[in-house]
Amino acid sequence: MEAVEVQLKKGVLELCVLALLSRGDNYAYEIASRLAEGIDMGEGTIYPLMRRMQADGLVDTYLVESSSGPPRKYYRLTEAGKTSFAEQKLAWSSFSKAVNAILGEAQ
Amino acid sequence: MTRQAFLARLKAGLSGLPADAIADIVADYEAHFAEGEAAGRTEAEVAAALGEPGRLARELRAEAGLKRWESERNPSAAASAVFAVLGLGAIDLLILLPIVLSIAGTLLGLFVAVIAVFGSGGFVFAAGPFLDPPGGVAAAMLAGIGLMAGSVSLGAVLCLVTVGFVNLLVWYGRLHYRLLKPAIEPQA
Repeated sequence: MEAVEVQLKKGVLELCVLALLSRGDNYAYEIASRLAEGIDMGEGTIYPLMRRMQADGLVDTYLVESSSGPPRKYYRLTEAGKTSFAEQKLAWSSFSKAVNAILGEAQ
Repeated sequence: MTRQAFLARLKAGLSGLPADAIADIVADYEAHFAEGEAAGRTEAEVAAALGEPGRLARELRAEAGLKRWESERNPSAAASAVFAVLGLGAIDLLILLPIVLSIAGTLLGLFVAVIAVFGSGGFVFAAGPFLDPPGGVAAAMLAGIGLMAGSVSLGAVLCLVTVGFVNLLVWYGRLHYRLLKPAIEPQA
C-alpha cells in the first residue's frame, strides 16, 4: 500500500504546487506546510521541487520584505506554468473520472 | 538536532558543488527554520520534518551531477555522473562497482584500440607511395582509407554504447533516492 501511495503522490506533487500558486503567489514554507498537511509529504522535498520547477521555467521568484526577519522569497507562476497547470489539471480530472468509473463498477 | 547542526551537516555534505548553488540551498533551509520558529515549532521538530541532512545533501549532489550529464554529454560530465551515482553509497551500487569498472575498462580499451587502428590506417595511407608495398601503391592507399573509415565508424558505435551505459547507470542511481524521490524526478 505504501509504495502505491508514494507513486500516487509523485504524480500529483507538481500539480498540487501549480494549483496552490494559481490561487496566489506564495513562499516555500507555506507551500510545504500545506502539502505536508494535505498529502503528508516530507517538508524538505519542497526545495528541490521548486528548484526544478524554476529551472523548467514554470515558476519564478521575487523577494518581499517581511515585518519579522529577512525578506521572503515568493514564487509565482509564469505563463508557461499557467499553461502547464491548465493541461495537467485537465489530464488529472479526466484520468480520475475514468478511474472512479472503473472503481464504481467494481463495487 | 539543532538548526546549527542540521545546516552544518547539510553544508558539509554539499561540498564540491558550486559555491553559489550551496549558498542557495542552505539559504532555503535556513529560511525554513526561521519560518518554523515563527510558527512556534522547535528547531528539533523542524529538523525532524526535513529529514536527515547528510542523506539530503548526498541526493542533492547526485542530482546535480546527473543534471550536468543530461545537459552536457561530454566525458567529464559522464565521469561526474558515474561518481554521483556511486556517491549515493547504496550497498547494491557498491556490489555493482566491479561490474561497472570492468565495463568501463573494456570500453576504454576498445577506444584505445580504435585509435590505434585509425593511426595505422593513416600510416599505411601516407607511407604507401614511398615503401613500394605488395599489391601496389593504390591498393595500399585504399587499404589505409578503409582502415581509417572502419575505425571511425567503430568509434562512433562505441560512443553510443558508452552514452547508453552511463544513461543506464543514471537511471539506476535515481532509483536510490529516498528523501527526494517524489520531488526530483520529472514527471513523464
